[in-house]
Amino acid sequence: MAALDATNRLRTWAQIMRDWPPGAGLPGTTKPDLRAAVNATDDWIEANQASFNAALPQPFRSQATLTQKTFLFCYVAMRRAGRLRAQED
Amino acid sequence: MATVYQQLDPGSAQFLTTAFPALVRNGTNFPVLGLAYDAAINEAASWLIRAANYGTGNVTVDVDWYADTATTGDVVWQAQLAAITTDADTQDTETKALATLNTFTDTHLGTVGQRLHRAIITMTNLDALAADDDLWIRIARDAANAADTMAGDAILTLATVSYSDV
Repeated sequence: MAALDATNRLRTWAQIMRDWPPGAGLPGTTKPDLRAAVNATDDWIEANQASFNAALPQPFRSQATLTQKTFLFCYVAMRRAGRLRAQED
Repeated sequence: MATVYQQLDPGSAQFLTTAFPALVRNGTNFPVLGLAYDAAINEAASWLIRAANYGTGNVTVDVDWYADTATTGDVVWQAQLAAITTDADTQDTETKALATLNTFTDTHLGTVGQRLHRAIITMTNLDALAADDDLWIRIARDAANAADTMAGDAILTLATVSYSDV
């Protein structure tokens, strides 16, 4: 999965600012700071996706597609951030 | 000599078909109605008032706002107006142009994200405003301006137009 191009990074940045939960509050940073963080996050994902893949156990690693593995990562990360609510909650 | 004040309520704002702020209602103990101006796209809202008892001089627009999520950064507010003298001006109302915009950059004062700020825009471009004109006021956030650095929405809770009656 390729890194996001400039347009998609820009749209990610714009939507983050719209969807960011007010209760969480943004850190004391400006729009350019947040834009740089979006870029760095995408760069980090690009640089570390092989490592993440290697950490996944079989048979998930070989059976799941790249998109499915990305979903997995996002779900776990969202739960860690308190943004994924389960029926059991 | 007195100063005339007219308040522009978010609930009475009018919008074009695109690029307008969302009307939001927040608040825990009382409703906080506001217009949420986006941080990435320029958005604008407009109001129509009658310039009752306008005398001379600049018009001031106070924009009361708070940040939805941010605790730092600057917001670039813009205001511009269009004035039509009824029964005298022959200008087509629907194609009337706005006067040159006036801007004010307000800085988030920090400490508490959703604290209330007031941006005071002095409008020097008055479109030959005269007493009792119909006056359209357009208030926008220039989110695409490099000087607008505040992340997240800026929520306008109230705007106040003021001018001298002499």
